Amino acid sequence: MEIDGKTIEFDKDGFMTEPGLWDEETALSIAVDEGIDEMSDKHWRIVKFIRGYWKEHDLAPPVRLLCKESGVSVREVYKLFTSGPARGACRVAGLPKPDGCV
Amino acid sequence: MRYLFSVARKTDQYDAKKAEAQGEAPTAERDVNAALDILDASARGLGAFHINACLRCGICNDTCHIYLAEPQTANLPAAKAAVISSLLRRRHTFLGRHLPSFVGARDLTTNVLDEMPETVFGRCTACGRCAVHCVLGIDLREIIRIGRQMCAAAGRVPDGIQRTVANQLETGNQMAIPRDELLSTAQWLTDDLKLETGDDSIRIPVDEFGKRVLYLINPREVKFFPLSLMAAAGVFHAAGESWTISSKFYDITNYGFFSGDDTAAAEITRRVVAEAEALGVEEIVLSECGHGYRAFRWEGPRWLGKPYPLPVRSVIELLDKYIESGRIKVDPRKNAERVTLHDPCNLVRLGGVSEPQRRILARVAADFVEMTPNREDNFCCGGGGGMLALSEYGDRRVASGKIKADQIRATGAKIVATPCHNCADQLLELSKRYKLGTEIQAIVELVYNALA
Repeated sequence: MEIDGKTIEFDKDGFMTEPGLWDEETALSIAVDEGIDEMSDKHWRIVKFIRGYWKEHDLAPPVRLLCKESGVSVREVYKLFTSGPARGACRVAGLPKPDGCV
Repeated sequence: MRYLFSVARKTDQYDAKKAEAQGEAPTAERDVNAALDILDASARGLGAFHINACLRCGICNDTCHIYLAEPQTANLPAAKAAVISSLLRRRHTFLGRHLPSFVGARDLTTNVLDEMPETVFGRCTACGRCAVHCVLGIDLREIIRIGRQMCAAAGRVPDGIQRTVANQLETGNQMAIPRDELLSTAQWLTDDLKLETGDDSIRIPVDEFGKRVLYLINPREVKFFPLSLMAAAGVFHAAGESWTISSKFYDITNYGFFSGDDTAAAEITRRVVAEAEALGVEEIVLSECGHGYRAFRWEGPRWLGKPYPLPVRSVIELLDKYIESGRIKVDPRKNAERVTLHDPCNLVRLGGVSEPQRRILARVAADFVEMTPNREDNFCCGGGGGMLALSEYGDRRVASGKIKADQIRATGAKIVATPCHNCADQLLELSKRYKLGTEIQAIVELVYNALA
């Protein structure tokens, strides 16, 4: 897929195959696929926290920290990202698919 | 020790050159032999039945959601069975040994092994629907699982499943959540529950000795989707239940069941039972997890070679009793929108729990409608059998879920209730891809919401 002049590849679940290529333009285009009309400030706070946590720990953050650090309540997370924190928010943040039942 | 060795062998990189220098068989030969051991052992049991059981009558063709989505020969249930039965026939029948091409028998080679995961993991969710319609009652799941066991023995389980098994063995839970995180999450959810209910005595008890119930959960309830755990805590509190979760072994899932690694599956089961005994509980109650129920309730005693020392129930069965006995009061008007129910294969067709969830929904939702077909004839959501963990088959998973999407759309429901976290994720994705506009909820969430 061509995004902002770069070729970005996705796996068959729609997760980036090379998470290092992620940037905000890529996030916007995954968000469109996710059915998010407009990335609000809250969307960005969640996505940026996930991105930072992943860079440091090579893992998706637990939803507890996600809520605490972004200041978004747990019920609101599912309204902002209807596919949930894993298939929704982590995907927009350019992470590889988390393992297990997600 | 033997157990640790077998785990290390499967997850570590095999150094072929070093092994050969030490006189071991080359990797390819070793893998084939390991798979043949499984195949031959099966020929003394279930495999013997499957050697020539299938009549190729084709009645099962249209029962398979994967074949219906991708009508290719390789997706026919009979063709999937033949991938394994052809190998059995070659070694365990007279004609197969002497005239293999006449009876569709073939040798197990590394090529055959390399192609096997595509069939046994990628073209079958082990949902068992074809078995319901088979004139001979052949259960394709059994033969698919022989193939998965062969893949496990030969180091050919797809990464998405194998990593999850390794996580579970190494850390006690499939998402490798540290103990501190579990404890912090329980505290955080407790605080939220207090705010939400205005009741200061509500909480999520962890590692408490001598409670009646040990509640097992899916780690995704800790890491990504805590609303069902909050709801369970709320309902247990309303019912005055005596319960606890364990901070060590709280994981109801068992990816050894999916991968075909019975040694891992048995160990995962053993730890949970030992933990229940150590905590002195009277009963184990399982959160809403389809394969977890099937694996723990029905396969576990077989893996361990003995019955459990205490009873095991799904939380659905417990919630049903709470409502029936009046221990909790519910008001269906609190769930006013139309609700339909998806039956997880492993809980319903393969687990035998089909009516409690219906009795519950009839009491907690104002407008509950069934999708068709349902109960033991229900279609798989497309994400079962480990498929959800395998990105390489993501396209097929979503395509094969179209039948489910159509079933849901026909009900006109706004909420799909399902007692399985794995189905829930697939249904969420189906809702998005097929524009159903449906919300997905666990049964316990609807019960919590209906508390009067």
